[in-house]
Amino acid sequence: MAALEFLTIAEASKLIATRKLSPVELTEACLARIEALDHLLDSFVTLTAERARAEAKAAEATIMASGPVSRMHGIPYCLKDIYDTAGIRTTGMSRTLADNVPTRDSYCTEKLVAAGGVLLGKNATWEFAHGGPSWDVLFPPARNPWNRDYSPAGSSSGSGAAIAAGFAPATLGTDTGGSIRSPAAACGIAGLKPTYGLVSRRGVIPNCFSHDHAGPLAWTTEDVAILMQVIAGYDPEDPGCANVPIPDYTAALTGDVNGLVIGVPANWLETDNPPTPATKAAFEAALDVFRGLGATVRPVTMPPLQQFDDCKKTIAVAELFTIHAADLRARPELFGDSLRYRIIAGGLVRAEEYILAMRMRTDLARAMQAVMATVDVLMLPTNEPAGKLEPIPPASLFTRSSFTTPFNTGGNPALSVCCGFAANGMPFSLQIVGKLFDEPTVLRAGDAYEKATPWRDKRPVLVAKETA
Amino acid sequence: MTDSPSHDDIVLLARQAGLNLPPAYLQELVEAYGNVRQMIDRIPTGRPRGDEPAHVFVPTKFLPAGQ
Repeated sequence: MAALEFLTIAEASKLIATRKLSPVELTEACLARIEALDHLLDSFVTLTAERARAEAKAAEATIMASGPVSRMHGIPYCLKDIYDTAGIRTTGMSRTLADNVPTRDSYCTEKLVAAGGVLLGKNATWEFAHGGPSWDVLFPPARNPWNRDYSPAGSSSGSGAAIAAGFAPATLGTDTGGSIRSPAAACGIAGLKPTYGLVSRRGVIPNCFSHDHAGPLAWTTEDVAILMQVIAGYDPEDPGCANVPIPDYTAALTGDVNGLVIGVPANWLETDNPPTPATKAAFEAALDVFRGLGATVRPVTMPPLQQFDDCKKTIAVAELFTIHAADLRARPELFGDSLRYRIIAGGLVRAEEYILAMRMRTDLARAMQAVMATVDVLMLPTNEPAGKLEPIPPASLFTRSSFTTPFNTGGNPALSVCCGFAANGMPFSLQIVGKLFDEPTVLRAGDAYEKATPWRDKRPVLVAKETA
Repeated sequence: MTDSPSHDDIVLLARQAGLNLPPAYLQELVEAYGNVRQMIDRIPTGRPRGDEPAHVFVPTKFLPAGQ
């Protein structure tokens, strides 16, 4: 058996269901590791140890009496600090919400509580899931467990770091332009941005209503599937939520990708935003693994990458300004420099420009679905390996293209998994994108890849600082 | 490509948006808006009248529970 803190959800839930592991024991192992090592990473902004111990004890009693109610029963988890948690401070890392204590749980929090999960605490994020990394907001930025001098990316930065560090087997993040997939990529874990509307955003502090997605991060794709089973579903209180049947996500993990047709967006990789040679080599090696499993790979042509960036970022800056307008007018100094720069110009975007961008989104989403109709999945790198943790010029948000944003605009499900390690030890990442609501195929591909490769066997090594 | 707004234009636009910013933040806004303007200028115009944007109102989403 792996050390308790490195058990996956799938492994721990089996042991708990057969009474070989107590939720109390597992929770104490996670709390002890956080206590000993999180000063190195700052991945938590709030620890809920007392609540976790109470929930673990209650889970243990119920499971002993009548068995688990779900595969998350008795499993520790954490939440990005933009998910509302009743009675627990929810700040979005922002000084404007320093004293914000919600009175109601988010939809996803409610689902995890009902599933018997054990809340360990709240994870660091970039301010309001958008501006960062920042050193002038409520808490310090999280660090990457593979190398503390490196960034865990954002905005679900603490979530990615906490999973890779073995602080918790499960967490939820949010993704408006890549904020689940980028930390998953930087930290070498699995992270899924589900189809837009599949997971309710009710009770999640908004970033950009039209592109916000809530979703899971975990060590493996199988664990991501287990979390999706808990949080996916129709919520009438989220106007963007889709009322669709929820499949059995773990049943889709057959390991069989024979015959899978993989599209590779050649124009993005060759012309629009060519990856570095090392990232390209890691990506090609991942495609070879799929070929070896019986999949076929073919190039596809997508609309130019910059069109997605122009469309999404114009919409986002206008929506972000509207969300934060009162504070930007009355107390702009409370925002971190990075976020303020990234949203303040939204006040100058005219309604016509916003609507033109929304019309452009229609075109791009249709074009994307037309390409997706010709393949089973798309594959491409999620990002380059993580860089140093240092301030990013805020203008880069507007000028830099990404491989993640297009799938927020299209709404398609997109999973990031680890596909090896660079010479400096930082993880490479593979992004797997599916048709709308076809999470089962995306998860099946991610799971098959992980089981065919050795990358899930390697964990970062963290050594506690000696105290004087 | 539209003409770039001048510094004074941006000050006026900011005031209309309810932003009375100190000089440091105003400079930040001028720079940020320059970047946003470049993106906006690349968005296609000249759309057909009936071209619906991606955000539409779905009335069934707002029915009271149980209806």
